[in-house]
This record gives sequence, structure tokens and C-alpha cells, in this order.
Amino acid sequence: MTSAATSPDIVSPAIYLEGIPHRQFSEIMAHPGLLWHPYQDGGFWVVSRHSDVKAVSKQPKLFSSAVGHTNLWDLEADALEARRSIIDTDAPDHTRIRRLVSKVFTPRNINLWENVTREIACELLDDFQREGGGDWVNKVAAPLPIRVILSILGVPVSDADYLVELSNYLVEGTTDKPTLAPDAFGNTTDLRLLPFRSPASHALFEYGEQLGLKRKSDPKEDVVTQLVMAEEDGNRLSAAEYRNLFHVLVFAGNETTRTAIAHGAMAFAEFPDQWKRLENDGEIGAPAVEELLRWATPVLHMRRTATADTELSGTPVSQGDKVVMWYSAANRDPAVYEHPFDFDVSRETNSHFSFGGGGPHFCLGAFLARMEIRILLEEMLNRKMALRQVGAATRVASNFIHGILSVEMEVA
Amino acid sequence: MTDQTRLGLDISRCVGVGQCELLEPDLFRIDDDTGTATIVGEPVLPSQRAEAIVDQCPSGAIQIDTNINPTLAKPPDTD
Repeated sequence: MTSAATSPDIVSPAIYLEGIPHRQFSEIMAHPGLLWHPYQDGGFWVVSRHSDVKAVSKQPKLFSSAVGHTNLWDLEADALEARRSIIDTDAPDHTRIRRLVSKVFTPRNINLWENVTREIACELLDDFQREGGGDWVNKVAAPLPIRVILSILGVPVSDADYLVELSNYLVEGTTDKPTLAPDAFGNTTDLRLLPFRSPASHALFEYGEQLGLKRKSDPKEDVVTQLVMAEEDGNRLSAAEYRNLFHVLVFAGNETTRTAIAHGAMAFAEFPDQWKRLENDGEIGAPAVEELLRWATPVLHMRRTATADTELSGTPVSQGDKVVMWYSAANRDPAVYEHPFDFDVSRETNSHFSFGGGGPHFCLGAFLARMEIRILLEEMLNRKMALRQVGAATRVASNFIHGILSVEMEVA
Repeated sequence: MTDQTRLGLDISRCVGVGQCELLEPDLFRIDDDTGTATIVGEPVLPSQRAEAIVDQCPSGAIQIDTNINPTLAKPPDTD
């Protein structure tokens, strides 16, 4: 990086208490080439246009996930190794680890979980309706995805509340004001070595290891058993790979879909004509699910690191430069979306990046998330359950997760 | 007549997302043992559709098969 123009601030966590800084992103997108954003001792290139995000995602050799880290800051070498998950790897390690779990999450195999999902959704919605409303996050958006992913992983239902508690602390770990004491949950590990620098990660690692040991001696038909039993063709996971994969599956399997469902409810409350439209259609088509995902953009960005000198949109990018893809901006790119700030459940083409920019790190749980959202909306439709938002949502002060901590809804 | 394009599979890149099976279930299937894609039909499609399939394969495993005449004069015989 040399003397490029500087980006407006899009990283201060406090900004995100008011939502995604779309005005700043529009300004960035309108600027030819890329803008440089100062950050800590260095900075990064802001990749905001739809076409640029796609170009970075689809060239994983040129834009590495394994160098430095996939967050805005670099990790020290020992921390990077201790925390390295499927998200922070390149081929061939990424390919090897991903193949161990990918088959569970293909569209065909995800369909097998429809009935389980519908049962959970019905229970949660019936309770919500009976009570006339409440905190949508706590009562519906959070429990649905965590209960489904725990069923898939093979975590006993009786432990669900504990894992939800841990997940909530991990969300908090993405903000600049975590509340956990460093030795919470009996943690003795240096926080630098833990995902989100959170003692809750230590607890989740421990839980995953214990469950793995149980499944080794008493195998079941579940994902954890598959992971601890995978030994063929040198496909075995190292202990660190296993615990980080378990961590990602639990965290990504619930936090992101929770966020999508929270924003979805808020969108339908803000644009009641769109809910009426679905009521008139009498069914939930794919365009409605995709628009909800575009609107929500649960993960705001991912970072890559250039492995060679190159250029993007005419701006020279040097080897070692950090390149940050802002899905939050690309999902509102006026070059791709007509009226990008309208929530429109009838958009026919919707190549949003809420599951990433379409490269090999494409969200493992994409088809699971889509299925969960579709079933939830179907069951809301069955109950003629229009929602009305009461007061403002409490947002997470994070530039990484588009999180909603709570939002009151009443059944209209 | 629409141009036809043949698709090939670089299995070493496949991470088993299943996008191909979703879009063209008669041509691709994820093998439940290996977790990777297999070609189960004649992978020849109208060129525009073939390009879309290549574009939507996240790992870059599905590619235009340039070893074989990419633009066939007519669709292959089907049995």
C-alpha cells in the first residue's frame, strides 16, 4: 500500500450499535478502485463491490485464508496455530477437513432434518403465540438453530442450555466489552490462544473433547462419532483440528442463523406489505428466503491476505496486504441490486454473499440455514402470525457479526 | 441450435458443497462415502447453463472440459 485514498471509518464497534454504516459503504463503493482503511499499526484494503468480493473469494491461492488470520488483525504464530479452524486454512488442509463434514450438509442430506426442524419450530412458535410475544431472539431465533445443530452433531438435548450459554458469551467476545473473567469456566489457557479470546471457547473445547471421548468408546449415528472415527487415508483430524472444528460447528451453526432469523422478523415487521405478499401467495418460495438472507448479512466481513502482487478494480495490491471483503456492502451494491435498500421478497435473481463470496469457503451450513428459515416462515404462515416490533432492537457492538441481542415482538 | 459445452471435474479441488447436485441432479451427485462430487450423467449442457454451473461451483472443481471439443455441433446421442 502506498498513497491510496483513505476510507471513512467502518470498524469502530460503536458505529454498529446503530446498524451497518451503509452511508459510508456507499461512499466507498462510489470511489473508483479500492480505498485503504487504517487499522491498528497497519490497515487493509476495503473490498466492497459485489464483483470484487467475488474475485477475491474465487482466487483462494492468490488471496489466502491461512496467512495471518481471517479477522482484521493478525494473530501471533502460536495463537494462529492454536486457533486455526476450517475457516483459517487453505487447500489441501481445508479440502481434507471440509470433506469430513461436507456430506452431512449437502442439500440432499439436509432435507433429512426437515421433520426435526419443523417439530422444534412448531413448539417455539406455539409458545411464542400463546404468550402473545416476547423477546424474539431469546424465544425463537436463538433456540431453533442451536437445537437443530445439536441434534445433527449428536449433543444430548439436556446439554443444549449450557451450549447456548457458551455461545452467548462467544457473541459477546466479538465486541470490545466482554464481561467474562479470564478464569471463567475453570479456564487456565492464555486468552490469546482461544477463539474470540473468550474463556467460553475453552469450555466449548473441553465439552467437545469429552463428547469425542464418549463417542469413541460408544459410537452413535452422529457427526461427532464420524469425526472422531475418521482415520482412513490419513484423513484423521489432529486434536487441535477436532476441537476447532467442533467449535466452529457449534458457533457458526447457531449464531449466524439466529442473526438471520432476528433480522428477518424485524424486516417483516418494518415492511408488513412483504409479509402480506407471502400470505397471499400462501407459500414460502426460495426468493423470500434469499432476500431475508441478503437483508440480514449475518457475517459482515472476512479477510484474506494477498500471496503475490496483484490488482483489484485497478488498484495495485501488494503481497502481504490484508484484503477485507465486506459482504454487508456487496449485498447492497446498486450495480447488482435494483433498489438495494428495499426489502423485496420477490427478487428473482439474488446472488447475495451472506454465505460468502462463492469460493471454497462457501458456508458449510448454507443449505441448513436456508431450510431452517424456510420452515420457520412456513410455520409462521400456517399460524397467520404477523409480528409487530415493540421498541428498538439491542444490537451487538461488533464490526464482524451483525448480531441482535434482543428484540421485542408482539403477535399482531 | 444452441452451443453445447462439456463439463469436467477436477476432483482434487472438490469440497463437497453439493451445489452441482442441487442444480443438475441428473449430472452430478455427491458420493456419501467420499464426500465429493461424481459425474453420473453425460455432462453436456447448453453453453450458458454450463458456464453458470462452473460459476456456482465454490471450489472450482467443475470446469469447462477443454480436452474435448467444447462446442459440439450437436448434442451427443442419449440412450
